[in-house]
Amino acid sequence: MTITQPLALSLREVRKQYGDHLALDGVSVDVPQGSVFGLLGPNGAGKTTLIRMVAGITAPDSGEISFFGSPLEQSHIQNIGYLPEERGLYKNMRVGEQALYFARLRGMGRSEAEFELKDWFERLDVDGWWNKEVADLSKGMAQKIQFIVSILHKPKFLILDEPLSGFDPINAQRIKAEIKRLRDENGTTVLLSTHDMSSVDELCDNVALVNQGSKILEGRVDLLRENARAGRVDFKFKGNLIAFTAALGASAILYSVHSSENHVHDMVLGIPPDTPIEKFLKWATKEVDVLSCSPKTISMDEVFLRAVKKAES
Amino acid sequence: MRNWLVILGREYKTRVRRRAFIISTLLGPIIMVGFVALIVLFSQSQETNSKILVVDSSEILSFSINEKGQIPSCFECFPERDFLEYRFTTEPISEEEFLESDFTGMLEFDDGILQNSKALLQYETTPSMRVKSAIKRDLTEAVERLRVRMESDLDYETYKRLKVKIGLVTQDVETRDRNAENKSLVGWIFSMFMFMFIMIYGMHVMRGVIEEKSNRIVEVVVSIVKPEALMGAKVAGIGLVGITQILAWAVLSWLLFIGFGTYAESSGMLADIMIESGNTVSSTDLNTFMSSHEDLSFLMQINWLAMLGWGVFFYLGGFALYGSFFAAVGASVEQESDAQYLLLPVMLPLIFSYILNIQILEAPETTLATICSFVPFTSPITMMVRLSMGVPWYEVLISAVILVFTVYLMIKLAGRIYRTGIFMYGKKPSLLEMLKWLTYRNR
Repeated sequence: MTITQPLALSLREVRKQYGDHLALDGVSVDVPQGSVFGLLGPNGAGKTTLIRMVAGITAPDSGEISFFGSPLEQSHIQNIGYLPEERGLYKNMRVGEQALYFARLRGMGRSEAEFELKDWFERLDVDGWWNKEVADLSKGMAQKIQFIVSILHKPKFLILDEPLSGFDPINAQRIKAEIKRLRDENGTTVLLSTHDMSSVDELCDNVALVNQGSKILEGRVDLLRENARAGRVDFKFKGNLIAFTAALGASAILYSVHSSENHVHDMVLGIPPDTPIEKFLKWATKEVDVLSCSPKTISMDEVFLRAVKKAES
Repeated sequence: MRNWLVILGREYKTRVRRRAFIISTLLGPIIMVGFVALIVLFSQSQETNSKILVVDSSEILSFSINEKGQIPSCFECFPERDFLEYRFTTEPISEEEFLESDFTGMLEFDDGILQNSKALLQYETTPSMRVKSAIKRDLTEAVERLRVRMESDLDYETYKRLKVKIGLVTQDVETRDRNAENKSLVGWIFSMFMFMFIMIYGMHVMRGVIEEKSNRIVEVVVSIVKPEALMGAKVAGIGLVGITQILAWAVLSWLLFIGFGTYAESSGMLADIMIESGNTVSSTDLNTFMSSHEDLSFLMQINWLAMLGWGVFFYLGGFALYGSFFAAVGASVEQESDAQYLLLPVMLPLIFSYILNIQILEAPETTLATICSFVPFTSPITMMVRLSMGVPWYEVLISAVILVFTVYLMIKLAGRIYRTGIFMYGKKPSLLEMLKWLTYRNR
């Protein structure tokens, strides 16, 4: 697969060891500009280590990280927004004051920060909370504040580690919409680490899957899915099952079949990559009464599980 | 640098506006002064006017009779005061009679007083210091008069002219400093404050670090500034909170002192005390009172500005030193209760200098005291005692330079423990492990 888009972030053979534990073993990842890039992997795979390196908290033992074409350095920090997985707020500060503090740490002036904060507070429905104590916030409220704080300074590159945890479905949807808006309207590149595969399906343009310190899969979400589908189609017909399977012969692989009353059969078939689905359908209609035929939908969940299983075996 | 100031500002602001800080800052000196005043007031209000019965069974005082009953020949030796009055008798009374009477004390005036200069005061309620010292003064004068009368060619006025009272002013040959041992008490109080502030605000640093770590705020902050800078800004911000409190206390105490002085002056309290202690003065303001009073005059000789200036310097140095230690300990644990055993090595030198101070107070110029005023872990506390007594300037300077150098080194070392510790979750590190962190390369 070739990526023609310019890269926002590029990791080359990055390695990091903590004591006896090898956290990252020569990982290379390319994040195209203006995309949402999903960083996936089981717990302890090395995602947090990778994220911390990009966020400038730790440095790799070896390997290179380039940020918009130049080696990552301290001065890039102002262009990065970071929402860590484990996050908190100072309890002894008021909400608005705390948001201002982080905005100022990110290099924003006071009045600019206040203006932007007001806008975001309204947008995410927390505008009445400016003078409230942090201790009075619900978990979802606190999450919203943390989200705002990480994007307020309009970073070119945004790292979101499990941004949806702690949100109810309505607010989760809202945050997803904001992430999409940031990508589409502001051209922000987002590095999204999550276990929530439905949000990967919905948000990510590209993903990389790391397991035990190594990258085991990387690519565009649509291509990965297509790949994992491996020519499988969902096929439903009415007719004689035995006659149909005999007619199929070696031209397709039968993965599964589920028969119900009135000779209605539901099957998953694998057709060769060089056979278009339309051609297969044309042939099939001659043989049986076709009720439905469509490429099998593969969720990222399945892609993920399969890749991990394959890597472990 | 900008971020450093933003962090420092947050650490400072969130603390100085806490109610507990404001109250303790405003009330600190008032409570201290009030405490002393309360003791004085309490002892005075307890003071029901003392009425002393002087039993002179051998008629040494040779009595005459007037409307008040028997009076001694040297009537002027026993002046009437509003808190103390005397009655005289030649007939001894029994203890029961005494207890039933309205006398608060009974004084046996006999040959023993003349020979041993010792008198026995029996009382029903414990007499106050003021009453006792007045009785002592009166008896001294009475005995003096009796003795003078025995010398045929001497009258009491001549004797009084001849009499001198020697006060002892001590001077250090090296520093030309006077009344050093009294002054060391002031230094000791300074160093106690130093100890107290380093402990209290050091714990603030530790708690602050633990909060950031356990709340995981540190992850975001450290992605913006280096961990060492975060630690430095935190220690500096909290150190400034301490300075604010110290300076506020200094100003408030000074105001209280001036206020009290003006009050004491205008109400005539000072003049009363001076007359009472046997001094005759034409004008009594607080300064003359202080410098003429033997127990207080040393206060006027102390260079308060230098004490405060060096005090602030040694506090800042000592706080930076111990504060970064406290920060490193805070970074290594997840909750305060886990910090106890790690705190021990931090506290030991502090507690050592505290104990040492008590010894220095007794013998200010021992070698140990001198050495400790150069060792950076004890110097912020020990040097304050020596400073109050006067130390050659070059010694203070050397000690200051050593302190600054060590602070620099300690911040570097503590910073290494800190930056590793803040990302270590789920295990309690041993001291050995923390030392190992010194060699870790994190960035």
